[in-house]
Amino acid sequence: MMDEYVLIACSALVLIGMTAAILHRDPFDKLISLSILIAGIFPFIVDRGYLDVAAATAMIAPLSTIFILYVCRRETI
Amino acid sequence: MIAIYICAGIAVYAAIRIIGERNTMRKLPLLNVVSFAVTVIIALLLPHPVTSLAAAAYFVGSTLESNAIASTWSGGIKK
Repeated sequence: MMDEYVLIACSALVLIGMTAAILHRDPFDKLISLSILIAGIFPFIVDRGYLDVAAATAMIAPLSTIFILYVCRRETI
Repeated sequence: MIAIYICAGIAVYAAIRIIGERNTMRKLPLLNVVSFAVTVIIALLLPHPVTSLAAAAYFVGSTLESNAIASTWSGGIKK
């Protein structure tokens, strides 16, 4: 079970990712901050026992990141 | 229980280092540190056998995500 310290740490991960995603200008920095935010929400999903939801989300979230990367890739070849 | 505390501390420390870092290429190894620490938190949180499957799925997904960001940032194959 998740106690107070782990809950505070995961909430801190979510808040750090949110703040960094708001403040950064470069799209790659925004994507990295979004990865921190997604990493912060996973222990909350697992703590309630929704393990199948966690496994499905772990497969779907990188797909969304890859689709965003098609939009913001560099054209300097 | 002390292992989860240590890994939560590592995850928060690496996330704070990611905010303070200016270079994008130096952020990506720290992002991997966050992903590994969160994988350990997921694996140790519940005493249930399917938890390891969820942790393995998250490990594969987060590593794929980090490598996709890194390869796109570096620009692909130079012609």
